Amino acid sequence: MNPLRRFLRTPEAVAGVVLLGALIAMALIAPLLFPGDPQAIAGPALLPPFNDWSLPLGTDRLGRDVLAELFHGARTSLAVGLAAAAAALAIGSVVGTLAGFAGGLVDEVLMRITDAFQTVPSFLLALAFVSVVGPSLGVVVAAIALGTWTGPARIARAEVLSIRERDYVASARAIGMHPLEIAFREVLPNALPPVLAMSSVIVAAAILTEAALSFLGLGDPNRVTWGGMIAEGRAVLRTAPFLSIVPGIALVLTVLGVYLTGEGIVETTAVRRGLS
Amino acid sequence: MVSNLTRRYRRGGKTINAVDDVSFTIEPGETLALAGPSGSGKSTIARLVLRLIEPDAGGIEFEGNDFLALGSAALRAQRARLQMVFQDPLAAFNPRATVARVLDDPLRIHGIASRAERPRRVAALLERVGLSADLAPRAIHEISGGQRQRVAIARAIATKPSLIVLDEAVSALDVSVRGQILELLLDLQRQERIAYLFISHDLGVVRAVAHRVILLDAGRIAESGDARDVIDAPQSAIGKALVAAAPRLNRTRSLGRP
Repeated sequence: MNPLRRFLRTPEAVAGVVLLGALIAMALIAPLLFPGDPQAIAGPALLPPFNDWSLPLGTDRLGRDVLAELFHGARTSLAVGLAAAAAALAIGSVVGTLAGFAGGLVDEVLMRITDAFQTVPSFLLALAFVSVVGPSLGVVVAAIALGTWTGPARIARAEVLSIRERDYVASARAIGMHPLEIAFREVLPNALPPVLAMSSVIVAAAILTEAALSFLGLGDPNRVTWGGMIAEGRAVLRTAPFLSIVPGIALVLTVLGVYLTGEGIVETTAVRRGLS
Repeated sequence: MVSNLTRRYRRGGKTINAVDDVSFTIEPGETLALAGPSGSGKSTIARLVLRLIEPDAGGIEFEGNDFLALGSAALRAQRARLQMVFQDPLAAFNPRATVARVLDDPLRIHGIASRAERPRRVAALLERVGLSADLAPRAIHEISGGQRQRVAIARAIATKPSLIVLDEAVSALDVSVRGQILELLLDLQRQERIAYLFISHDLGVVRAVAHRVILLDAGRIAESGDARDVIDAPQSAIGKALVAAAPRLNRTRSLGRP
């Protein structure tokens, strides 16, 4: 059976793909559906949802369109989540490969640095980094990557330790290949699958971290973020709870979608490996 | 070429001599076989000769130079002259590689052919080992075991080496393919005067292809000499045991000398 069909047979994977697809669609059509600034005032303040069909999800304390904010917030969440996870996976697999392949002192030094990063709670690290450098999208991405690259690094190292004893690495040395080329061309690509299996968890965690940073007012101030929307709604939680609930539900569904899709992919590839 | 080579392993406070004071020479165009039971140090010697692992004592002289004194860059350049073919032809290649990439690598690394010329060289190498040049774009896992071992041999001869270490190179192949591969190896040796360090536990194959043989036992040389003499009339205890364990040889011997 081909992998795509097997993938679509698992109900949780389908649910994940549907959720993630909806999120990506929201992010893509946001500027078409809601051109102009989502942070501009669109109507009376604190309009409840489903009252005015030109503002279906109502407005917040300053009269901004909640639905427009929700769509534009999807862009930020997705961009930050994917960029931070990509950066974490890239740093982690390079560090892990170098440590595992070089061994000896290089391994010791790199793994102690990894330990140091791992002992600091990743959220505190991100918080400290953003408050020192100042909030902007790039800084938020870097801050999240800083706290999450250690997991991929450890997994890559463990995988590389087993791969470097294989015959094809010995034969690459025997033909005179440079050690760096062996590490990154022969070893790293074969160490990647278990590292990539982690990516869905990392993307989900990155989206949540970004929301938490924004909630604390450390997100990029020029962009709508779901975390920022929840923080905005917190002041009127008793009178207008929908302002916090709507972006909260969006967050839950997004993380769920990313996670289920990732699980589905891991499951499918595991079955394929088991059969071959 | 190799003198007093020793490699030790430490396991739980005990020191094990995997290879203990082994010396031998290989002449150009000669096949020297290393035979012995499992754990006798055959493969360790192969890896020591190629400097894939470093010896604890002893020396290696290769083409008049002290091979162990080479720095990493000089060693990489020298590796062109000294190649290896592994037992399991599937494990010896990067699982993501294609035939073309495998053969392109040595040509590129040692600057043997320009980028434009390399596809032609790859095709020529494939034909040299009796394969079709159409095989080049195929992935390694798509071709048969015998074809894979031919590709491994093509990779080994790409840099025109003077010595190839064959570590159980035909042991994983089925009998008919084994004969063809041995034929190819002998043919290459006749034409290019390549020396082989032929590692095998199969004394029948050793007797057929090797000029001289060294029998190893627990890392030491138990017996050495002309391959046919040693295998037809082993003097050492391990030699007698190995010959007795090879059913084919036993029978021909008893038929030949009633």
